[in-house]
Amino acid sequence: MTDILWLIRKTLRNTFRNKSSWLVYLGLPLVGILISSLLYGSTNGNTLRIGIVNNDGNQVITQDAIKFIEGLNQIKITMTDEKSLRSDIASNKLDSGLVFKQGFADSLRTGSHGEAQVDIVSVKGAQVTAYVKSMLQNYIGNVAAIGKGTQGNEATFDKLYAEYSAHNFKLNAETIEDTSNQKDMTYQTIGFLVTFMLFSAVNLSELILKEKESRTFLRLMTSPISARTYVLSNVIVNVLIMLLQIVFTLFMMKNVFHIDSGIPYAQFIPVLLLFALAAVGLSLVMVAFAKSTAGAGAMQNLIIVPTCMLSGCFFPMEIMPDSIQKISNFLPQHWLLDAINKLQSGETFGNLGLNLAILFGFAVAFSLIAIYRFSRNNDTRMFV
Amino acid sequence: MNVLEIRNLTKKFGDFIAVDNMSLNIREGEIFGFLGSNGAGKSTTINMISSLLRSTKGDIEVLGRNIATNGKFAKMNIGIVPQDISIYENMTSYENVSFFAGLYGLRGNLLKERTEEALDFVGLGDKAKSFPKNFSGGMKRRLNIACAIAHRPKLIIMDEPTVGIDPQSRNYILNSVRKLNEMGCTIIYTSHYMEEVEEICTRIAIVDHGKIIADGTKEQLKAIITDTKNIWIEIKATDSPSIDSLKQIQGVITAQLEDNTIKINSKGEINNLNRVIQQLIKDGIEIRSVEEQAPNLETVFLTLTGRNLRD
Repeated sequence: MTDILWLIRKTLRNTFRNKSSWLVYLGLPLVGILISSLLYGSTNGNTLRIGIVNNDGNQVITQDAIKFIEGLNQIKITMTDEKSLRSDIASNKLDSGLVFKQGFADSLRTGSHGEAQVDIVSVKGAQVTAYVKSMLQNYIGNVAAIGKGTQGNEATFDKLYAEYSAHNFKLNAETIEDTSNQKDMTYQTIGFLVTFMLFSAVNLSELILKEKESRTFLRLMTSPISARTYVLSNVIVNVLIMLLQIVFTLFMMKNVFHIDSGIPYAQFIPVLLLFALAAVGLSLVMVAFAKSTAGAGAMQNLIIVPTCMLSGCFFPMEIMPDSIQKISNFLPQHWLLDAINKLQSGETFGNLGLNLAILFGFAVAFSLIAIYRFSRNNDTRMFV
Repeated sequence: MNVLEIRNLTKKFGDFIAVDNMSLNIREGEIFGFLGSNGAGKSTTINMISSLLRSTKGDIEVLGRNIATNGKFAKMNIGIVPQDISIYENMTSYENVSFFAGLYGLRGNLLKERTEEALDFVGLGDKAKSFPKNFSGGMKRRLNIACAIAHRPKLIIMDEPTVGIDPQSRNYILNSVRKLNEMGCTIIYTSHYMEEVEEICTRIAIVDHGKIIADGTKEQLKAIITDTKNIWIEIKATDSPSIDSLKQIQGVITAQLEDNTIKINSKGEINNLNRVIQQLIKDGIEIRSVEEQAPNLETVFLTLTGRNLRD
């Protein structure tokens, strides 16, 4: 046991003495969170900037309609003219514009819905117009109903409209948190984390090959420690560093980037750690088959990037064809991301039995292949 | 007392026999020279003694215990100085020695003391905090030795410890070997430099085709070839003598061309120098000098194996 601790201490010290290790093991997951935030952060519900052109003069109904729009939550209005409106929308100074045409108020008085008298202008489509449109339609509908009921009798209309306006009618709008956005960010961040974990695992297992190339491995093998002890110490260092990556990424996600995954740490960390074991197993397989660090590096690029793409680490699985989705069933990354999705959808940890069993199975299978390969290595320069 | 005892050791790689039924005893306090050309089987033998390879057949005992059943005991008592420099470039000299000594169970003050002692021994005490990447080849070789001796092994195996270094460092290492021996260590020393082996080894074994073909002190080995003589004939560099013709001359045992010198080993009682010279003149070879060599390890090796050590 003290031998293993001695080896672990040396490997950790050598690893973190190198500044680039900090960048690779902790910096890259941070970059992953940043990219996810940039990809999905811009879709947060911000205040809508609406330009209003009033071509209907000082009509009370029109003025009230403008006040109604102004009173809506998360709306900021700017009074403008048609020319400025279009240029401001084009230059993204405004999200959309409302043009109240001349005769808007009169059309409501006659009971017409008056939608033809309002133009909604936008280049962003329903994403920015739907909210205003539906609220305005509701308001216009009420006023038009008064107009229709009074059948052109202006005195009656004014009386009823004054009563309607005097009512302390207030629309309360509550903003509901858009959890889908948080889920997307979590999914993307974990996708990147999975990729970096795999790269880290291979980098750390590659230390075995580096030791062989620098001949220190032979010296180690002439000391009382066994090859098994040495490989075990490497695996423990690998798992420790990945645990650090996991905890650091989740901490930064929640406390610095304020991405709420909706999954408690007590569930998130064990699932990711189980994947870490599979990643270590896979890295050992690569190292067992590679004859040099260059060979392991090539395998790393040939295996990790394509499988991460196929498993949906870089973009959601739903956008991929069925055939690709079926292939991903044979990849551990898929089962991890699927488990994360299930946890975010509110499924309990107990319902993840299949995912956890498959991840564990991958870890065991990879380790057995690596052990088999190592045990058949009879070359004094290569043996473990 | 035998520090190392090898009995009927055999190692096969497929059909190839690298070590062939080798038996050998190394006594306490010896500096044992292990000579053999590339592929002779000495590295395979050393790898088996170091537990890096398993033997196909035979036994190895270190300090009276079989390494097959007492591997850890054997490893604790052996220090290996590998031919290739095996140190961590990203660790200081002190950290390197301390780490390797720690693998033998040393900890705390004892580890610190032994590490400093080993560094001082190889003359790197003032470089304890320096990284080997800034060292010369000789300094790296010395650090390579320090890593092998800090745990105070009884048997030290040095595999070509002076390859590629300056004469000053070589002398330092050879003196270190003598000092280690004086301190009670038994040493197995392999080298391609015959003069080194001749200078420091108390007993020498010559290995060829996986077998020990001669074993004894340098005087005993030289005595083997007193009934032969060695004639070195320097010729014009561009000439190409017929070595086969020379080998057919009566009394010639071996003949070979090395650079621009023909090295002939011949039976001592037959005077055939005239015939050799006549043959060379007949072949149009220009002779620059003729010299009869006193027996040395190189001529012993050449006589016994028919090859140069560097072949």
